[in-house]
Amino acid sequence: MSTLLQQAPSLGNTIWFILAAVVLLAVLLGFVTYAIYFERKVIGWMQLRIGPNRVGPLGLLQTVADVTKLLLKEDTRPLHADKALFTLAPILAYAPAFAVLAVMPFTESIQFADLGIGLLYYIALSGITVLGVITAGWASNNKYSLIGGLRSAAQMISYEVPLVMSVVGIVLMTGSMNLREIVEAQRDVWNIVPQFIGFVVFIVAAQAELNRTPFDLPEAESELVAGYHVEYSGFRFAMFMLAEYVYMFGMGTLITILFLGGWLPIHPALSFIPGIIWFVLKFSLYVFFQFWLRATMPRMRVDQLMSFAWKVLLPVALFNILLTAVVISYQNGMF
Amino acid sequence: MTGEFVAFFILSLLTIGGAVFMISFTRVVHMVISLGITFISIAGLFVLVGAEFVGVAQVLVYSGAISILMLFGIMLTKHDAYDEGTGRKWKNRFILLFVALVFALLFWGIQNTAWPASPPPAASGVSNAKEIGLVVFTEYVIPFELVSVLLLVALIGAIIMAKKEGDNE
Repeated sequence: MSTLLQQAPSLGNTIWFILAAVVLLAVLLGFVTYAIYFERKVIGWMQLRIGPNRVGPLGLLQTVADVTKLLLKEDTRPLHADKALFTLAPILAYAPAFAVLAVMPFTESIQFADLGIGLLYYIALSGITVLGVITAGWASNNKYSLIGGLRSAAQMISYEVPLVMSVVGIVLMTGSMNLREIVEAQRDVWNIVPQFIGFVVFIVAAQAELNRTPFDLPEAESELVAGYHVEYSGFRFAMFMLAEYVYMFGMGTLITILFLGGWLPIHPALSFIPGIIWFVLKFSLYVFFQFWLRATMPRMRVDQLMSFAWKVLLPVALFNILLTAVVISYQNGMF
Repeated sequence: MTGEFVAFFILSLLTIGGAVFMISFTRVVHMVISLGITFISIAGLFVLVGAEFVGVAQVLVYSGAISILMLFGIMLTKHDAYDEGTGRKWKNRFILLFVALVFALLFWGIQNTAWPASPPPAASGVSNAKEIGLVVFTEYVIPFELVSVLLLVALIGAIIMAKKEGDNE
């Protein structure tokens, strides 16, 4: 994969690039389809309901039917909406969600680009999505979507700070921002054990970055109808939905790599099971955790949201950095 | 034609195009979006010359900055506000002349400078974040610390100004 990047462009390897991206997109679409299905099933079980069971065997084709309905829907646009930006916003929201996956090492060999600063690349690109969300909120010319867009901007910018701070501890321990090296450094013990405080801060901030319960204020259906995408329907709405679930995929991948040891087995004796299976297992655990939270937690109050990020999460993350730095200095014999 | 050339061509087109549209659009939100395209394309140009860390830092800093700028654009202007501009002809001609002069001067300056031979671009595997960190914390410690003090002063200044307004109410 990485040798392909060094070659001069020709028709042959351009087709390879496109093919590789399309395969990743197909995997993603498959994931999103069944993540939505399992989300509905799991929440159904937790609430003593059955969940989707009509379309196809066990309801397995329910999401396919839903997506087909979305794609066949009439493409509506409010009369006084800003035409160009209304069209641009879903693209601005989705493109970075897909682009962040370029640096993710799924196993030792399956990776698109091996960047020295992979971790920073993820965090920087995911910030562009906020722009798409605000643009959508503004271009729709609807007060609910504007409020949703503004809430989303405030929330995502504030929670990005503790998110970045919580992974500094890992960067200090590994001495690198390369995701592959971060996984390799977890051979003895996964980062979730020495970096437990960082893990807790990261998982809370990630929840807010993904706009999921208990931080789903930007799209709180009981107060804002649907948040920034009220006016979107059909294909464009599908793009926003897709961006949201692709971010869940990206965040799950990142947590698996940073804290759960990526493709490494639990114990070296179990290394006969291929790395990709371990990766998928750990990743699925995170995705299940998401659904579990959604069925369990109530939504946070809007006035507590900001103070929680700045007064609780950020100091805890800074304390974690200090603690890690002191321990590493002590280990290196500085005092 | 190498891949680098194609990428450079597209990115520089986007950079210049974004800047031109930033000036010619009349709505604040449109301007902010085209400014964002310029910033992100510049980040792409940084990556192209092997400075990935600078490129990613550019995206990290400016994507937040653009969002904030856009929020202020939304809050401080009406939804359908247009910037009407000053339509004085002689003034515009004077500005055109001035801009042409500046461009000629810059172009002449760039053409006549003897640039040092550029070092080969670093391979993508080499971590230039580490190199930058080493240089900043050994050779340039004092400028680096001064810049951070400047930022701190700006932050505290903003808080004091906001606090004064809050007390008046």
